[in-house]
Amino acid sequence: MQARIGKSATRATRYSTILLAIGFLALAGIVVVTFRLAVQTRADLATSVLARNVATAAFELRDGLQAAESSQRGYLYNNNEIYLAPYSTAKTRALRQLDTLTTLLEPDPDTRIVMERLGILVRQKVDEMDRTITLKRNRQEAEAAAILKSNVGKALMDEANVFLSSIVRNANANLTGNMAQQNDGLMQLTRIILAAAVLILMVVATTIWVVQGFVGDLRQTQDEVILANTRLERRVGERTHELTMARDRAEVLLAEVNHRVANSLALVASMVGMQSRATGSPEARQALSETQSRISAVAIVHKQLYSTGDVQSVALGEFLPSLLGQIEASMRASGHQSFLKSDIAPLTLPTDKSVSIGIIAAEWVTNAFKYAYPDGEGEIRVILTREGAEAELRVEDDGVGRQGELTPKGTGLGTKLVMALASSLGGRVEYVLGQPGTSARLIMPAA
Amino acid sequence: MNTQGTGWRIAALLWMGVAGVGGASAEERGPGLTTPVVLMPFDPATPNCAAPAGLSRVLAFARDNDRDFMLGIDLGLAMAAADGQLEYRTTTADNDPGKMQEQVDAFLAARVAGLVAAPVDAATLAPHLQEHIWSGAYVGTIVPPPATTILNAPQYLTGKALRDAAAAYITTELNGTANVVLLTHDSMEFLTPRFAAMRDSLVMIPGAVIVADISPVTVNGEGGYATMQTILLAEPRVDVVLGADTVVLGALAAMRDAGLDRPDQFFGGIDGEPAAVAELLLPDSPYKASISLAASVFGYAMGRNAVDWLEGKSIPQAIDILPIALTVESLPAYQADIADPGAVYADPARRDTYLKFYGNICYDSRENYLNFPWSSEGISRG
Repeated sequence: MQARIGKSATRATRYSTILLAIGFLALAGIVVVTFRLAVQTRADLATSVLARNVATAAFELRDGLQAAESSQRGYLYNNNEIYLAPYSTAKTRALRQLDTLTTLLEPDPDTRIVMERLGILVRQKVDEMDRTITLKRNRQEAEAAAILKSNVGKALMDEANVFLSSIVRNANANLTGNMAQQNDGLMQLTRIILAAAVLILMVVATTIWVVQGFVGDLRQTQDEVILANTRLERRVGERTHELTMARDRAEVLLAEVNHRVANSLALVASMVGMQSRATGSPEARQALSETQSRISAVAIVHKQLYSTGDVQSVALGEFLPSLLGQIEASMRASGHQSFLKSDIAPLTLPTDKSVSIGIIAAEWVTNAFKYAYPDGEGEIRVILTREGAEAELRVEDDGVGRQGELTPKGTGLGTKLVMALASSLGGRVEYVLGQPGTSARLIMPAA
Repeated sequence: MNTQGTGWRIAALLWMGVAGVGGASAEERGPGLTTPVVLMPFDPATPNCAAPAGLSRVLAFARDNDRDFMLGIDLGLAMAAADGQLEYRTTTADNDPGKMQEQVDAFLAARVAGLVAAPVDAATLAPHLQEHIWSGAYVGTIVPPPATTILNAPQYLTGKALRDAAAAYITTELNGTANVVLLTHDSMEFLTPRFAAMRDSLVMIPGAVIVADISPVTVNGEGGYATMQTILLAEPRVDVVLGADTVVLGALAAMRDAGLDRPDQFFGGIDGEPAAVAELLLPDSPYKASISLAASVFGYAMGRNAVDWLEGKSIPQAIDILPIALTVESLPAYQADIADPGAVYADPARRDTYLKFYGNICYDSRENYLNFPWSSEGISRG
């Protein structure tokens, strides 16, 4: 799924880049074409202006010649010098336009021969007109009429017209060509802009399509993730439920096992007690009685330990008072009157160590109940402290004590048991004789 | 002119008038129709009148020179004379007006029954032709009056025939666009309608531009060559050239020398000159048409008119010789026709493609001879 999103994102990025590049190229194309057209248009404009000026000069030259000829004919026909003023003006205009035309066309070598010939024709025409007018003024009408009748003037005008019309035609063709070229340029620009606009629209549309595709993929992926999560949560819930059920079943089974173990221990203790009572030997009875007590103590410890939910560690602050309470109750039930006081620090130790501590405490407290106060009742104190890395369990009484000897009463099995357990805890046991009383101490690591 | 001879001829005419044999009365020596009139179409059903008497059965032809056109007329007249059982005589004035007058007077003295003249100078020849008319002879002239029958080439129609051929070519072959050169003929004013017709039609084709409308200094091949050289300086691209055959041929030579001739150009002339006809037949030649006046055909017609005149029949007062556009396609049939003008004349349908007859005149109504420059195009030109 992630790969698909990654692929989709890569594709969208690649396409977007390509499309943006295309859009940029289109824009660049428009700029380049516009620039070129602008340059071309300026050149065309200059050419157009020249062509227009050439055409105008040619028109003016022809018009001047025709006006001069008309005035010449008017004078020759009417003998009225009123025609000579417009003749002079028209002739001057024609000659001036000839100079203008020559100047305008000078840079064009192709027109050199044409302009040379046209110049000759115009001057010959002017000369012919001047000559006839002079003859007329000198009253040489016949000579003037002969010149007219020879059609020399018409022939000159006809030939001049050939050149002038050619110049005008070429100028107009240049103008038309330039206009067509400019029109073509505009059409080209229009087409390019339209094409670029279409291209950009396509780019935008395609980009939207690509992004929509990417968003679609994201949404699809998101939906798939939600669906997978839902499925996973459902499976986790189911699994959790199954585990809870399994745990509950295990707890019930464990409680049942503990209960059975406790019952079995109680049964064993009862059997040992019955055996003790049935035994005639006091030593055997003593030994069996101690064994019964110890089994009972183990049963109590077991019951205490497995009544809690935690089987890995044991909070001694809770475990020991409860254990001591049961031992006290059991010893009282056996006829002992002493009472317990406890001061247990909040110390948590692994279950194995706690069991050992519990058995040691039960051994020492049971001994205290049995032997500390042979004549009555007294206080038995159980104290658990912690000093740095060490913990200390003390069981103290104010009884008769051991009367200067440390030999244990009974079978001595309890002392061996305590020493063995203390050794397994990595600790040491100390018995301190008091005045009065006895203090049994277990010093061990606090962890 | 030999005045003694002239006096003798006048005395003889006076004698004939007194004798009343073939002579002319004072009324019969009238000026003819000097005011332009519109002639009705010729009516062949007009009744016959009296036949002229005292004339020899001779048909004469007085021509200005021996150019091809005249030779064509000569051929037709000779064939007509033969077919009409007339003697045929012909003279050439070599463009000499005096010589022509003498030749015409000699024919008068010979009392020829029919005279066809192509005047060198119409004005000076007119009185001499009038003498023939007054003698009762048939007098046909190639264009100028006076004459019992005037042969005229309708110049506008001639120009129109060429322009129609050119316009069709411009439209179909040049996509309606052409640079046109008109080579005119300023020294012959009566030809002006030709070029007016050409200009009129070219105006109707927007893409046809007259780049030159100019008359060569001399109306011949050299003039056409020089003029086209000048035109090419101003306009190197020329698509159509129109004018008389001789000048157009000269223009074509200039175009070829400049390397600017192309097979798709249209060069067209008037007169049906043999050189132009030869150009028509060349493959890829720019020469596409020549407008011809079938000289032998109208010569034959005039000869037959002379025969009819002698028989007292009513003949046309005027004849239009219709222009024929010669092209590669039309040339064979045309050449066949001018070689046998008698067959054309005998076939009214074929004859009408060449000739158009106007008015009626015969020996009895000869005082109505035409003595004004007649034209079917309604323009009186001097």
